[in-house]
Amino acid sequence: MAVLKRRRKPAAMLAALLLGCVLGSVAAAPVPGEYQLKAIFLFNFTQFVEWPDDAFAGPQAPFVIGVLGEDPFGATLEEAVRGESVGTRTLVVERYRHLADLRPCQILFIDRSARPELAAPGRLLDRRGMLTVSDAANPPAADTIIGFINENRRIRLRINVESAREAGLTISSKLLRPAQIIGNPGGDP
Amino acid sequence: MSASHQPIRKQLMRMVLLTSGAVLLLSTASLFIYDFLTFRQSNRNQLEILGKAIAANSTAALAFENAADAAAVLTAFDADPHIVAAALYDRDGDLFATYPARLAASTFPQRTPAIGGYGFGGGFLSGIQSVVEGGRRLGTLYVRADMGAIDARLRLYGGIVTLVIAAAGLLAYVISRQMQRRITEPVLELARTAAAISTRRDYSVRAAPTDAHELNQLTEAFNHMLAEIQQSEARLHMQLGHLSLLQHITRAIGDRHDLASIFRVVLQNVETTLPIDFGCICQYDADSAELTVTTVGATSARHAGPLGLAEGTRLPAAGNGLEDCVAGRLIHEPDTLAVPFPMTQCLAAAGLRSVVMAPLNAENSCHGVLIAARSSSQAFSSADCEFLKQLSEHVALASRQAQLNSALQQAYDDLRQSQQTVMQQERLRALGQMASGIAHDINNAISPVSLYTESLLEREPNLSERARGYLTTIQRAIDDVAGTVARMREFYRQREQQLTLTRVDLNRLAQQALELTHARWSALPQQRGVMIELQSALHSAPVEVMAAEGEIRDALTNLIFNAVDAMPDGGVLTLRTGSEGHRSWIEVGDSGIGMDEATRRRCLEPFFTTKGERGSGLGLAMVYGTVQRHSAELEIDSEAGRGTRMRLVFAPANSSVAIAGLPSAFPVTVRRLRILLVDDDPMLIRSLEDVLSTDGHQVVAANGGQAGIDAFAAAVRQRKPFDVVITDLGMPHVDGRRVAAAIKAGAPATPVIMLTGWGQRMIAENDVPPHVNRVLSKPPRMPELRAVLAEFCGRNADTETVITDQVRA
Repeated sequence: MAVLKRRRKPAAMLAALLLGCVLGSVAAAPVPGEYQLKAIFLFNFTQFVEWPDDAFAGPQAPFVIGVLGEDPFGATLEEAVRGESVGTRTLVVERYRHLADLRPCQILFIDRSARPELAAPGRLLDRRGMLTVSDAANPPAADTIIGFINENRRIRLRINVESAREAGLTISSKLLRPAQIIGNPGGDP
Repeated sequence: MSASHQPIRKQLMRMVLLTSGAVLLLSTASLFIYDFLTFRQSNRNQLEILGKAIAANSTAALAFENAADAAAVLTAFDADPHIVAAALYDRDGDLFATYPARLAASTFPQRTPAIGGYGFGGGFLSGIQSVVEGGRRLGTLYVRADMGAIDARLRLYGGIVTLVIAAAGLLAYVISRQMQRRITEPVLELARTAAAISTRRDYSVRAAPTDAHELNQLTEAFNHMLAEIQQSEARLHMQLGHLSLLQHITRAIGDRHDLASIFRVVLQNVETTLPIDFGCICQYDADSAELTVTTVGATSARHAGPLGLAEGTRLPAAGNGLEDCVAGRLIHEPDTLAVPFPMTQCLAAAGLRSVVMAPLNAENSCHGVLIAARSSSQAFSSADCEFLKQLSEHVALASRQAQLNSALQQAYDDLRQSQQTVMQQERLRALGQMASGIAHDINNAISPVSLYTESLLEREPNLSERARGYLTTIQRAIDDVAGTVARMREFYRQREQQLTLTRVDLNRLAQQALELTHARWSALPQQRGVMIELQSALHSAPVEVMAAEGEIRDALTNLIFNAVDAMPDGGVLTLRTGSEGHRSWIEVGDSGIGMDEATRRRCLEPFFTTKGERGSGLGLAMVYGTVQRHSAELEIDSEAGRGTRMRLVFAPANSSVAIAGLPSAFPVTVRRLRILLVDDDPMLIRSLEDVLSTDGHQVVAANGGQAGIDAFAAAVRQRKPFDVVITDLGMPHVDGRRVAAAIKAGAPATPVIMLTGWGQRMIAENDVPPHVNRVLSKPPRMPELRAVLAEFCGRNADTETVITDQVRA
């Protein structure tokens, strides 16, 4: 059953992808379906990263994927997580237009539009228990844990293991394997 | 040649090799299969582990679509040279990465293979492994390994198995070759023994024992069986011998019909063939409860004397332990010393230590006992006893049959004897009847001759000496004729009742016979030119016997006639008399043709003659009758071609009795009588009338019975009654009985004398008819007649006449 559910999902996604491609080509987007893929990647991080228990408000608290700044994903992020869960926790997508709107979340995609807010002094982001993700080419902050790299029309990852350690997250070595690693992966700061 | 006909050695070898080969093959094959299957399984598991590891490593590459990284992950398959291909498909099923790099992507399925799992197929081991991270399926790993490992393994195992089987087979061959000798050798030994027995039929051969326990049991059983067969064969042989002997004996006694011969042949066979040391057969008499030793075997005879079992010995059944035997049970005494009976003790003393006594049983009764003995004790086996029992039954049957046969023969002989006697009697009776008739007529016919001869001799004074001699001879001849005629009727009689024996001298009778027959043996042969020489050898002293003179003379006459007839070409006629002790004899012999055996046997039968028409067949029959009446013996000594001697043998006469004829002379005083003479024969009437008239009597003759009655009645009426009536018996119309009855009715006191040709017979049978005072036979004899007349009429004689009877010569 579970297999079938998962199959249905890619079929839907494929349809969305095709739609995205059509729309993308119409909208002349730089990478067709780029954010659609990134949305999936965001969800995939939930599989390769372990969050400490205190990252959640409670045992029943949902797993929250937040988008800070302008939302580049549109509906694709909802599509990517629809019906999914992380362990027993339900997946929730939240959007924070501004930093002030920010609420505790486990994955936070920081759009480049949020960079000015973050760059402002005193606006320190509490990053404990939070996997911060951003586009690497246009980083909102140098210290996001994972950055998306666009390379030969492919998306690669750049992982700052130091930041991840600071955030109290454990990143699976499997994830590290295809990614560029920055920071000191083994030693303490 | 099928397997079952091969030698046991080869079969056993083949069995061992096949068995060990099969066991090895099965075990190695099962090992091989087990290993093959487990190896396949482990190969599969290995591939699965490898696949899972690679899949786990490739999750991130798939999740984040890093194909280069995925290809790098797949290069880990380099570690296993048998993995020939691998590919990763993304979660949409599209080909994502392949291994090895040199393989074109087109050689892989372009979409995820539909069916998951690991398995063998198409000559490969292939696996389809889902790539899953955190419960989410990220893609699929396809991996394919060739069968090289398994093939190599198979080849290795095949070589090992072949080597093992070859080595084990060789080892099994060598070992079994050594070991099988211990089994095959005794079996072959048994087989050789059996073959030797079957070809030679020698059951005394034994198989050699072996050290193998079961085979030794087999050998022992085989040897035991051989011993049994040997014994059985011996028993069978003995039984066959017994049967053959029994058959031989049965056949032998079947040819014999007398007991003695049967017993002898039985004992002889049993003595020589069974064999036994002593054998005898006793016959049993149930009345006296005694056994009589009938036959003793030829070689047993030396024992018989000392044993007291010689032939003819009588043994009481009681006290000798023979009661059971005669009651029908076979008695076997294996040791005679241990039995207390006298007979068994005798046997033991004679060195015969074992004995079998078999009863001869037939028809539920015991006829005798067969006794068989041997020198050693315990010498009779049960088969011997059984044989003797069967033999005794056969012997009993045969002896019973012989007895029956003998009784049958006896009965047959008796019957034949009776038949002959009856025939003889019948002949004699017929002869007697005929003779009576003839005698009657002859008596009547010769009566005048007799009367006149007598009268002439008495009354004629001037007779010349020669005439007197002739008349005397005539009278003697008439007397003999009368005597002969009288005897003719008596052939059938066993005894001559009225035969009166007197003392007679055989010498004198011989001379008289010779005189009477002179013409026959002298004159007549001379006329034919034949010479008969007379040799008379009479005893010097008178040979006196008690006899009826006339009969003996007649017999001699007959014998002389026969002797002369037996010498048609002449010869010697012998007449001899003799006396020796209590026998006196007279013999008539000739040197004539003699008699053969058949003739001699029949010569005494009436009407048997060798003379054809000339012979009456009565001569010797009459002689024989005479001999029998005299209780004398007739000895016939004859040989064909050598002559015949007939001898009459008498007991000598009592010396005290005087030689007698009729009373020599007695004067009879008779008054003149008036006599009525009744007869139907004129010759007789006339002669008797003449003679009686000469005596001075007044005779009235009546011809016939009725005439007689009438004459008597007339005389009574005329008061001139008759003093006496003499009447014949047989007359036409009115016979002598009626005459007598009529006279007695008229004058009971008148004596009636019956004068008849039947007279002697009537006297003999005491058949005097009623009303008749006396019966006299014809021809009438004057002295007799005078005596009777004197007896009835003598007292009243008024005229006395002295009549003197002549002495008969």
